[in-house]
Amino acid sequence: MTAIAAALALLPALGAGIMMGFATSKAVDATARQPEASGKINSILLLGLALAESTAIYSFVIALILSTKS
Amino acid sequence: MDLATVIKLSVSAVLFVVFLVLYCKRRHDAMEETDVKKAKKKKRLPFFGMLIAAWFFVACVVNLITGGSKGIGVEFEMFAPRVQIGGFSVAQTTVTGYIVLAVVAVLAVLFRLFAVPKFKDEPKGLQNIMEAAVEFVDKFVHDNAGDLSPELPAYMFSVAVFLIGCAVTELFGQRPPTADIEVTLSLALCTFFLINYYGVKKKRLSGRIKALASPSPLIMPMRMLSDCATPVSLACRLFGNMLGGMIVMDLLKNSLGGYAVGMTALAGLYFNLFHPLIQTYIFIVLSLTFIREATE
Repeated sequence: MTAIAAALALLPALGAGIMMGFATSKAVDATARQPEASGKINSILLLGLALAESTAIYSFVIALILSTKS
Repeated sequence: MDLATVIKLSVSAVLFVVFLVLYCKRRHDAMEETDVKKAKKKKRLPFFGMLIAAWFFVACVVNLITGGSKGIGVEFEMFAPRVQIGGFSVAQTTVTGYIVLAVVAVLAVLFRLFAVPKFKDEPKGLQNIMEAAVEFVDKFVHDNAGDLSPELPAYMFSVAVFLIGCAVTELFGQRPPTADIEVTLSLALCTFFLINYYGVKKKRLSGRIKALASPSPLIMPMRMLSDCATPVSLACRLFGNMLGGMIVMDLLKNSLGGYAVGMTALAGLYFNLFHPLIQTYIFIVLSLTFIREATE
């Protein structure tokens, strides 16, 4: 049962992955349009990716806690 | 030694010799070739073939000696194992963290005693590097958090050095201190303290409370809750990332058996060096962003 719970807890990784892809594609668009702003776009992108990734990381930590408890 | 092992060993050995001969021939041909780029391209395929054959051969030999992989899964612990030091039960990662701190501190003192007094008006060599680093950190913090105090860049640089040093310990086979929630949570609490310190210093206590109740006082509990969630999110992010990298490396080491020869070095480039660097960057940028949010 805990194994299923741990697997279900990893569902947010799906959303995080899709949205990180969206963000990166937009950043690529923006860089192609304005290559001179790539430095600023890069830092904003990294910040956004970190925030989007954190949901996946939380789910990962929760899944770890669940799977080690048993 | 069964038949499969013999076949594997002989095939890889033969392939290695074939690619070696091919490489030597191509190299000999390249001496006469005038087009350097083309000659390099021709040499590439035999070289990588040679490398892969050699890797396979070594992996087979290691498998033969150790008995190969027994299909061990990953065995990890959420919390670091404990060691007894002078009657105290201390987490192993704490000891590693203190070793990292000691190395960094000794290096800093050595720099201060031997390198800094020799500095001249015209920078040269080491002085160039250090001045560039200090200027870079100063500018970075200034861009991200505004002009707050001269101590902030120094603190952020120390945190960055500590985090990178912690990640490097994994290359020595230790559990990295950042893969322990105590270490990351304490760093995140330092950030939380800095957020409130600079917020109160810049805007006074009344201004900080007013900022918390900005649209209406009704929203104040929510704002306070989200403020308290900041250190937890910072700590969990760093901890989860580092633990994830560690687990992937352990999985690679345990499950591949003899074939892990060289593979861990390749994967370690990403999981032990590049990934921690990015996480360090993110930790610092997020800390600075939160500090700026509190002071604006």
